[in-house]
Formats: sequence, structure tokens, C-alpha cells
Amino acid sequence: MTEPVFILGGYQTDFARNWTKENKHISAMFNEVVTGALQATQIPPEDVEVGHVGNFAAELYTMQGHLGAFLVETHPAFSGLPTGRHEAACASGSIALLAASAEIEAGRYDLSMVVGVEQMKSVDSARGGDFLGTAAWYEKEAAGISYPFPKLFGRLGDEYDKRFGLKDEHLAHIAAINYANAKKNPLAQTRGWYMSEEHAKSQDRFNSNIGGRIKISDCSQVTDGAICVFLASKRYTEKYAKARGLDINKIPRILGWGHHTAPLGFDEKVAESRDNPYVLPHTRQAILDAFNRAKVADVWAVDAIETHDCFTTSEYMAIDHFGLTAPGKSWQAIEEGVIELDGQLPINPSGGLIGCGHPVGGTGVRQVLDAYRQVTGTAGGYQVEGAKKVATLNIGGSGTTSCTFVVGVN
Amino acid sequence: MTTETLPAVRLEKVVVLGANGAMGAGSGALFASGGCEVTLVARDIGKAEQALGQIQGIAKSETIINSVSCATYDDLATVLAGADLIFECLAEELSLKKDIFARVDAVRPPNALVATVSSGLSIREMSAGLSQGFQSHFAGIHLYNPPHVMTGVEVIPHPAMDRGLVAAVEDLLANRFGRAVITCTDTPAFAGNRIGFKVLNEVAQLAEKHGVQLMDTLVGPYTGRAMAPLATVDLVGWDVHQAIVDNVAANATDEAIGSFTMPKYMGDLIHHGHLGDKTPELGGFYRKFTLDGKLRSEVLDPASGKYVAVDPGLKVPFVEQVRAYHRSGRYQQGIDCFMEAEGAQADIARKVILGYVSYALNRVGKDEVVATYADADRIMTAGFNWAPPSGLVDLIGLKRTAAMLKRYDLPSAPVLDAALRGEIPTPLFNLPYVTPGRYFAG
Repeated sequence: MTEPVFILGGYQTDFARNWTKENKHISAMFNEVVTGALQATQIPPEDVEVGHVGNFAAELYTMQGHLGAFLVETHPAFSGLPTGRHEAACASGSIALLAASAEIEAGRYDLSMVVGVEQMKSVDSARGGDFLGTAAWYEKEAAGISYPFPKLFGRLGDEYDKRFGLKDEHLAHIAAINYANAKKNPLAQTRGWYMSEEHAKSQDRFNSNIGGRIKISDCSQVTDGAICVFLASKRYTEKYAKARGLDINKIPRILGWGHHTAPLGFDEKVAESRDNPYVLPHTRQAILDAFNRAKVADVWAVDAIETHDCFTTSEYMAIDHFGLTAPGKSWQAIEEGVIELDGQLPINPSGGLIGCGHPVGGTGVRQVLDAYRQVTGTAGGYQVEGAKKVATLNIGGSGTTSCTFVVGVN
Repeated sequence: MTTETLPAVRLEKVVVLGANGAMGAGSGALFASGGCEVTLVARDIGKAEQALGQIQGIAKSETIINSVSCATYDDLATVLAGADLIFECLAEELSLKKDIFARVDAVRPPNALVATVSSGLSIREMSAGLSQGFQSHFAGIHLYNPPHVMTGVEVIPHPAMDRGLVAAVEDLLANRFGRAVITCTDTPAFAGNRIGFKVLNEVAQLAEKHGVQLMDTLVGPYTGRAMAPLATVDLVGWDVHQAIVDNVAANATDEAIGSFTMPKYMGDLIHHGHLGDKTPELGGFYRKFTLDGKLRSEVLDPASGKYVAVDPGLKVPFVEQVRAYHRSGRYQQGIDCFMEAEGAQADIARKVILGYVSYALNRVGKDEVVATYADADRIMTAGFNWAPPSGLVDLIGLKRTAAMLKRYDLPSAPVLDAALRGEIPTPLFNLPYVTPGRYFAG
């Protein structure tokens, strides 16, 4: 990297909120999240030089585009601020972070504000499921199909089953862990919901199959949520740290990143990886790239992972793709308790997309904010003791766009 | 008291008495969700079993009842034998509760906790004359309805209960069952209902002169609540409303006790069976019915006791302006607009809201209902879905709050006076992870 990129903190809205019920426009989400982030970091708004927004489908969910402009609305000091919006389905938030960090690496700006946002409870679940279908190849994979994404990720499980064998009880355990972790996260959507491994294993009127082998308990949530983080150059961070009496070595930075895009269609992905040990090799490569850039030898050099569990099958895939186990043996890490909050390498201490919630275009930013919280020891009830490095994996589509960050302190 | 120093409290087996009511099933679901073994007790086994289905519906799980069993009062001695907590959810009648507690006292294991879900009856009276062992293990644990949605809970310990034990129970409720917990003194209606129903009944009183629809508009969701006040009374039920305000009016004394006198028109209609949403054909403040396949809504005219069509064109200009600000998350500008609005209608609305702030903050202190203003904030947010009183003060501004209270002849409160003297830091609102803005609807 030419210039290091520091993370100065940020803010997340309560993912249990329903902003439509509050009769709020998406601009309210921008206002609350930016106000909250400015308060949390005590960054003077005049210092912000550029703004990036990650969002998937506000045009569909809220009939509102041109979201970068809403950053300018959040504070009088932002008048004239250069802004833009980034879209890569569920990876939109990470793409916004990549753009912001690239600008800082290039020396173009010193302080960037990144907001990930999605308002999804504006429509019923069937209509929302159809909107989400636009993250696949809509005409081929989603048009006229109810809830296309559970079906696509059910097929990911089927592919694992075919290549290596897959037991649904391992998927149920993934769900139970994410819900249990979410109970410790005061901003998680499902923190007050009931879940147990017994329920996750059950198949009945409350836990029916909605797409192939995917049951309700295997799914992430429909979430209204906004997240803001500030990324800064070394020059700004030195000034920021000095003014607050902080040690710059204790301020987290983006140590590495990875970003690859696979063919959009699920069949094409599977065909392409037929002879590869990994079902989603481009996802594996994004992880390896991030580790290489971060000079991280392997996954055991990180202390926790925030991964993209849009369905339990995607977390199952992440376990071997990160390298916790050999390909196809993710079940070992599940059975041995490795990924639990007090395990050797906790996955999704926040509760992930299943427990914390999944505001689609915001999730990548939420993961990085949670990584920041972990490595600064400020994650509260879901803190992983002594975490110094945390990896994220954010995926758009059916394993199409994969983005990974390694966030850490020295 | 830190968690490390709390006495260990076992809470593995919970017996719910009166399990077939809404609070019985809701409480059963809460304890089962937290991993407890739960026994549901009702008059007959069929009634207890009905609650099983309700619990499944609340938890959205069939398997949750694998740890739940059913019994009748005939089995009381057997059922209570292994209980860690005996949780009473009978109807809100003192004599009923006293009777069951006398039976419980005779057979309860010595360390079993006993709690009532009562929303405002006296904890001391309920347990008067019972054994010392009972009283030292007895508390009110007032969950809000429905418990899986509203996380607020008031703990009202019997004076004989050990402080460490109280703290341990509160710690469990907060950390194992995800509750927003406050401790209250044993005063009528405790904290949330005392503060909340003062406002609701005051709006019902004002509706006599200004009309139901206008009052629900003036004190509507934009003032910091999920639902308009009189629609809330319909949801709660007029009988419940009456029981709460009558209890406070008869047993409490404070600077605004007149606000608890239920308006005569409500008493007359209750007499004729109007109880709100639970009597849909008769109605409450509103009456909904289907005509020509369309859902229509009528509103009560308190003067005549008749129902008239809801006026779809009723819009109050300043209310619309405030709502527009809130819709974009501009809460400060919204409240500024509210405070600066001119005219009699704005005065009516402001007087109710400032009255809420004044009344809530005056329930804080040594001889009052709660110890800190954060307790009032916590129960009004997590129990009522209303904006926190101190959060309103922050948005209105400390000096402007003081001026407004004076203008409407409302008493200031010790916490406000202390803040004005600079003795406590501002902004006042200090609950972590709670955003006041969420309560100001657009």
C-alpha cells in the first residue's frame, strides 16, 4: 500500500428498528447515522473531505436514488462535499470502503466518511425477495421465482453435499451460534428473539423450508440499518491522535484487502470450479489477497472473523475458504467449537447477518465497524478477548462479488 | 454492586400461576426462551394447555414447549417442590392474589423466589401476614405487555428482601432475559404506568372539550410515541385504564393527582360495556367496522356518547411541519418548530408534553418512585415506546424547558434545577444504545 488507511471509528443504528413504521424517509437514516458517528468519534465535520455511500437498491425499496447527495444533507459543513454511491449487491458497503480507501492510499484525500445503508422493511417479504433477485441474473435466475436467493444458497449447500457431503445439523449449529452471539449485541436485530439449536434443527410450521434445504432459521434478516465509519490517512490520524492524546499504534488500520468477481450465474460458478478444491475459488482468492497484503501467514493469525452468513450455507463455505479446515471439512471446525464466541477463532461475534441483521448494502461497512470495535476492545458483551486482527468477508450475489478486509492494530 | 459480588440465584425451574392469561403465556414464553424449565398452572389442565399454543406462537417455535409442562392448582404442592421462581399472573384483584400467596406460603421451598406480575397493586398488602421467609423472597416483577415486544420491567422488592438478592435478580433479568430493568418503590402503579397513565388520562380529560381526533393529533406520534394516546387506551382496554387511574387517584398524593380522575363520559360508556378494542362492536375512542367491504373508522364524540365519521381532512399545520422534520431525522428542528408554534392548539399539545416531563422527573428521588431520572427514561422507552423525558429536555433545551414549565404553571423538578445550576452534566439523556430519535415519528 502506498499510504496506510486508518479507521477512526463510527456508528451503527439499532438494527431492530423499523423505519417505515416510524414513518421515516431514508434521509432520516443518513441523518442519524452521520450525527451518531460524528458524536462517537468527535471528528469536526469540517475535516471531512469526501463521502462514499454503499447501497444496493434504494430505488426499488424506497423509490430514491442519488444517495451520495444525502450525505451533504446531514450537516451544514458538508455543503459542496464530493460524494458518490456504490453498488455491488450485498457487497455494496465493501465497495464503498474500497473506493474510499483507494483514494486515501493515493493521497487524494485525508479523511473520508463511508456510509452503508439499506431500508428494506418498506415492502412485504415477497416483494423484497423479488427485489433481492436483482442481485442474481434476474431474468435467468429470479424472474417469477419466489424467494430466489434462499434457493440459490440452498444449491450452494447441495453442491457441498455433492462434492464432500453436508449434514443439515451443522448448518443448524451455525444458526444457533449466530443467534446466541446476537443476544450479546445491543444493536442486533434478533437480540430479543427466541432461538435454540433444537429449533434450528426442527422442520415444522415455524421453521419451514423456503428454498431447497434452506429453512427460515438458516436465513439472514430483512433489516433496516445504517452504518458510518471514518477512514483517514496517516497525516490526519497523527493530528487526530495527538489532539486526543492517543497512541497512533492503537488506532486500527486496514492491513489488507481482497476483491474478486465471479460469473454472475450460479451454474457458471459451479461449472468453473468443477476441478478446483474450492467451490467458490474467487472468494478464496479475495481472502488470500487480503492475507497477503496484510502479511498475514494464514487464518490462525487473525483473532476473529466477521463473515457473510446471508444463509448458513455461506458461512459453511466461508469456514473452509478462510482455511480453518481443508476444503469440504467445515463441519470439523463446527463440531470442535472453533467458531464459537469463546472458541479458537470466533466467527461472527456480532451475530453476523443471521443474528445482527443484514441491511444489504450496509453489511460490509457494519462488518468493518465491528472489526474496529473488536481490535479496540470496545465490542462490549461480544468482545473477543485480546483481539488484535479481525478479517471480514462480504459477498454480493450468489458468491459473485467477494470482498475481504483485514483490520488490525499493531 | 458488581456482578462478581452478587449472591448466586438459581433460576432453572419457573412455575407460572395463572398461565392462561396474556401475561401468563407471555411470561411463560419469556422464561422458556431464557432456557428455564417452565410449569404452567391454571384452573384446569385444558386452560393450561391452551397457553402452550400461545407460547409457541410468541416464540415462533414448536420445540420451545419441550421444556414446558402443565398442571392445575390441585397439584400445587408437588409442582412448587422444585421451583426456583413462582411467578404469579392472576387477574389484577388483591383478594385473589392474597389467597394464592397464602397457599404458596404453606408449601414453597425455603429458597424459592415468589413474584407477582401485577402492574400496580401494593406488594406489601399482597404479602401482609405471610411468613418472614415468604416476604424476604417476594417482589413485584412487572413485565410490560407483550413481554416479547416490550422489554421494560419494574422490580418492586418487598422491604424485607435482601438488597443483594434484589440486585442478583435484576442482573439475571437484564443479562439472561434481555430486560431493561428498573427498581421501583412500592407505590401505586409503580413508575411506568404512573407516568404513562397520567398523560393518557389527561388527554382523555381534554378530549371532552377538544374532541378525540384532535387530541390524538395534537399529542400524536410526532410528540414521541409509537401510537396516539387515546388509541393506546383503546388497545390497553378501558377497564384496565380505569383500574390503574382509580388505584392511583385513591392511593397516591402528588402535584398532579387531578389528572387521574377518569372523565365521567368514560365511566358511563364502561357501564354500557365499551372497553376499547376488546369490544369491537361497541368501540372505545374509536370504532372500526366494515361497510360495503371497506374498513371504516368512527370516532367517539365524548359530549354525546355517539360515534361519528373520522375526519380524513383534519390536519394541524404545525403538526404537519414537525412531522416533516422528523421524517428526515431532523429531530432538533422538529422540536424547535413544536416549541415555537403559535396558537391555542400548540399550547394544548405543549402543556401535555411539558406536563409529562415535569411529572416524570418529579417521580425521581429519595421518597419517590425511582432513584434516578435514567430509570424514568428506561421504563418510558422500553415499557411504553415513548420518548424519554430527559431526552425531551435535551431537545427542548434546559432553559427553554424551565421557561415552558413556568408558562404552563407546571412544577420544575430537582433534576432540572440541579442541571440548571450546572451540578449535573448535560445533555441529560444517558442510556446506552437507545436513540431518542426513534420515538419521534414522521
